[in-house]
Amino acid sequence: MDTSLRTRASSIVIEDVRLTLASTAGPVNILNGVSLEVRKGEAVALLGPSGSGKSSLMMVAAGLEKASAGRVSVAGRDLTGLDEDELARFRRAHVGIVFQSFHLVPAMTALENVAVPLELLNRGDAFTKAEAALQAVGLAHRLDHYPGQLSGGEQQRVALARAIVHEPEVLFADEPTGNLDGATGAAIVDLMFALRARVGATLFLVTHEDVLAERCDRILRMKDGLIVAEDGPK
Amino acid sequence: MSASANLTLAFRFARRELRSGLAGFRIFLASLTLGVAAIAGVGSLGQAFLTGLDEQGRTLLGGDIGLQRLYPAEEKERAFMARFGTVAEFASLRSMATDPGDATTRALIELKAVDAAYPLVGEMTLDPAMPLSEALKCDQLACGAVVEDALLIRLNTKIGNTIKIGDGAFVIRARIVSEPDRVVGGFTLGPHVMISREGLSRSGLLTPGSLISYSYRIAFTQETTPDAFRTAEAAAFPQSSFEITDRTNAIPRVTRFIEQATMFLSLVALTALVVGGVGAGQSVDAFLQRRRSTIATLKAMGASGGQIFLIYLVQIMAVAGLALVLGLAIGSVLPFFVEYYFGADIPAPAHYGVYAGPLFLAAAFGTLAALGFAIPPLARAREIAPAGLFRDLVAPSASRGRLIYRLAAVGAFVAIGVLSVMLSPNPRFTVGFLAGTVGSLVALRLIAYGLKFGLTALPRRRSQTLRLALSNLIRPGAPTTSIVVALGLGLSLLATVVLIQASVAGEVEDQLPSRMPSFYFADVQQDEVEPLAKLVGSYATAKDFNATPMLRGRIVKIKDVAAADANIDADSRWAVNGDRNVTYASEAPKDARVVEGPNWWPADYEGPTLVSFDKNLARGMGLKVGDTITINVQGRDVELKIFNLRDIDFRTGGVNYILILSPGVIDKAPHSYIATVRAGQTDDEAIFAAVSKAFPNITVVSVREALAKVGDMLAALVKGTEIASVVTILAGILVLAGAIAAGHHARLYDAVVLKVLGATRSRLASIYALEYGLLGTLAGAAALAAGLVAAWSIAYFVLEIPFVLAGEAAAFTVVGGAVGTLVLGLAGGFAALSAKPARRLRNP
Repeated sequence: MDTSLRTRASSIVIEDVRLTLASTAGPVNILNGVSLEVRKGEAVALLGPSGSGKSSLMMVAAGLEKASAGRVSVAGRDLTGLDEDELARFRRAHVGIVFQSFHLVPAMTALENVAVPLELLNRGDAFTKAEAALQAVGLAHRLDHYPGQLSGGEQQRVALARAIVHEPEVLFADEPTGNLDGATGAAIVDLMFALRARVGATLFLVTHEDVLAERCDRILRMKDGLIVAEDGPK
Repeated sequence: MSASANLTLAFRFARRELRSGLAGFRIFLASLTLGVAAIAGVGSLGQAFLTGLDEQGRTLLGGDIGLQRLYPAEEKERAFMARFGTVAEFASLRSMATDPGDATTRALIELKAVDAAYPLVGEMTLDPAMPLSEALKCDQLACGAVVEDALLIRLNTKIGNTIKIGDGAFVIRARIVSEPDRVVGGFTLGPHVMISREGLSRSGLLTPGSLISYSYRIAFTQETTPDAFRTAEAAAFPQSSFEITDRTNAIPRVTRFIEQATMFLSLVALTALVVGGVGAGQSVDAFLQRRRSTIATLKAMGASGGQIFLIYLVQIMAVAGLALVLGLAIGSVLPFFVEYYFGADIPAPAHYGVYAGPLFLAAAFGTLAALGFAIPPLARAREIAPAGLFRDLVAPSASRGRLIYRLAAVGAFVAIGVLSVMLSPNPRFTVGFLAGTVGSLVALRLIAYGLKFGLTALPRRRSQTLRLALSNLIRPGAPTTSIVVALGLGLSLLATVVLIQASVAGEVEDQLPSRMPSFYFADVQQDEVEPLAKLVGSYATAKDFNATPMLRGRIVKIKDVAAADANIDADSRWAVNGDRNVTYASEAPKDARVVEGPNWWPADYEGPTLVSFDKNLARGMGLKVGDTITINVQGRDVELKIFNLRDIDFRTGGVNYILILSPGVIDKAPHSYIATVRAGQTDDEAIFAAVSKAFPNITVVSVREALAKVGDMLAALVKGTEIASVVTILAGILVLAGAIAAGHHARLYDAVVLKVLGATRSRLASIYALEYGLLGTLAGAAALAAGLVAAWSIAYFVLEIPFVLAGEAAAFTVVGGAVGTLVLGLAGGFAALSAKPARRLRNP
């Protein structure tokens, strides 16, 4: 395969990635030689049971975790040799992440939470953009509310706004509806797909819900740290 | 991102986080405030005294210049002094005051015979109010005297009555209310009595060789400076043997004492800061643990480790800043508090005020301690992985932080140490104290580890209560180590102080009296030695009567170099600062231990004067057998050739002469004898009375009374130190409270689970009581171990006195630690005991 061509057209390239973590009971193999390519603008869903390694694969792809072996390239950047601070700079510039547990900073208002990625990029328009992003997720009236004053659905909307406010090339989402009821979850998913379409980001979605996965271009199934099947959209 | 942009961002994020209040920082705030307040308070108080001494130097000295020596000034010297200003003159000596009706009612007094010009500066206040000259006036029958209250009590007499001093009769005309230069006199064995010069002449105490100190005070009447006077005096009288002081350092002894006391108490306060710092560090760690998720989130969004470090460092230092402000505010008002409550009881002059120097220093120590204790947990927080948002159990973060940060923390502590040593008037002591503190910290930590290890290795207990209590102490994250270290350090300091006090008291009350003579007889004339020996020897318990000729002389030259310019070790410098006792002997005294050189000069030796010198002083002055030193005795320089060196045990309390001369020259100078005798307590009063009656001119010093005075002084010093160590314990308690608060949620959760499973409140209370009782006992025992080692080392190596193990001090440390911890622990566990499981389970 021509790597340079593939890199230009690809958003995420993962080659024979392994991840082994230490634990008190000895080393644990989480990923066992995963290879994968995601094209720019593509939406990919990772499906699999608990412990199959899907969240770990997402962490490696998002530069949150360093692979024990193999090669990872995201948004045209080879992450393999980057140190912790270089990975941080990579994330702030190219990546947006939505967590199952929202992970908003409790001491910051909704507006401040959304502004954080732009502030880390030292952007002077951080708050204007953050306000616009909150408006886009329907929370213009909640700018000065703290996470503790918001419902679960509202918190996830803030998290979504925070993930796309700096227009990342790749949007990672880890069980984004896992902590929400059905109706709220559906609304969040609609919003997430709409926003990613607006900024043209690649979507890398970890979920165990088939319905949600089916909205993606491709579905990868994982088991025991390996991708065991790939489905096209129905 | 540039450094300034990073800093701006850190401040912005920190401000957002601090908006929610300081709830998580209470212990941090309290610990740091306490330590800074203690250092600032001690420093401010010391500065208040030093400033007071400085400002009132002229009054305290009684003039701009003070000159003193053991024989009167010559005419040309008086004329020289008069050129600079008004001169006052007085003679001071130790003597006895007697009730003329009952010669056995006598008291040792500090006698001061003043001229008409005295006092040049300051006011002499008498009761009843009258001019001093009026009070001291002589008529044909008697002269006047003014006395301190203590003498009226001692002799059971009153104003208007007559007392005898030497052969003279003195009417007590007034009571001394205040004497302007009283502090200059320093430590005294008897009450002050003031008479006129004429009164002294009439007393017959001016015998050859009497130990009289002649002092002169000059109040400048022309534009000049003390330094100019010194220069002119040295030029006019190159051989001058005057000890000169001036208004800028009127009482060097007191200044030194205040500097040393301030240094010691500052070190104790610094220990409180360090103990509190352990709590502050714990509190920072707990705070950052609560922020793990936020930190991981920020990192996931692209915040670098450095930015995380900066964001939280800014927050912690902002709270530290608040603690500094509070601590400095409290510390700066301490002098005013002392003035309000104790001002009247403090003899030294003080200028109570707010002093920038000590406050700045306290702020520097506080900042360094905050950095030293905050950096390690911050360095660990810096390494929190964003992946922690997804998992923590498989690979828990165990990073100790990068080496550079750990070095920075060590650097902060080293800076504290270096600053302490640099600013100390006694660097060697400071180094010893700091080394002791660090050693205790390490020892306590090792003891704590050992205890945890020991408890873990214990076989499984049958008692559930004991099992649960023990598991609370050894489970991962249990604050056992930090509590043992922090509380232990405070308690060990107190134990050290109390144990040393017991050893010193044992030395002063038991050991010294058994080694020391019972009486010193001063100003004994040569023809009185025999009759005195006979009189004293008539008492059954009297033994070891010893009389030696005594002169006073000052070392003025070491080899051919003036003593002031000679290279002398700090430990030996005292020997050239003032007059020393000198004797002569044709044969070696029986307790002399010659360690270098020939044993003794021949009994019939005639030739240049030889000297048997102290071994340690010789080493400190770079002298060996055959070298020369020159002493000035009564205005005359005598060159001495070192014949041998002796090892002198100053602890025997006898009359130990560092200089024993060969006879031939020195014995021609007028001199008296000093005699000592040991006697049983039963004969004490009888000997005192008999000698007083038979020899009115002889000054009798009862060692028992003198030691009681020394004991009182030591007790006051120990009290001050005890108060300071209580501050350290308070810091330890804060650490304990912090640890209890940090574990509150976990304890509440445990209590709820146990209650759901059927545990009663009394069962839970027993578990807590056992847990905290054990913890306190362990902390107390560890503190006692550290305190014993420290106290024994100080007693053995520094004070060179036998170590006395005081049972009550030991018990207090262990029981106090246990009870204090138990009470605090139960108070902290009260919420857990009263927690309602249903409510907690609904709202975890």
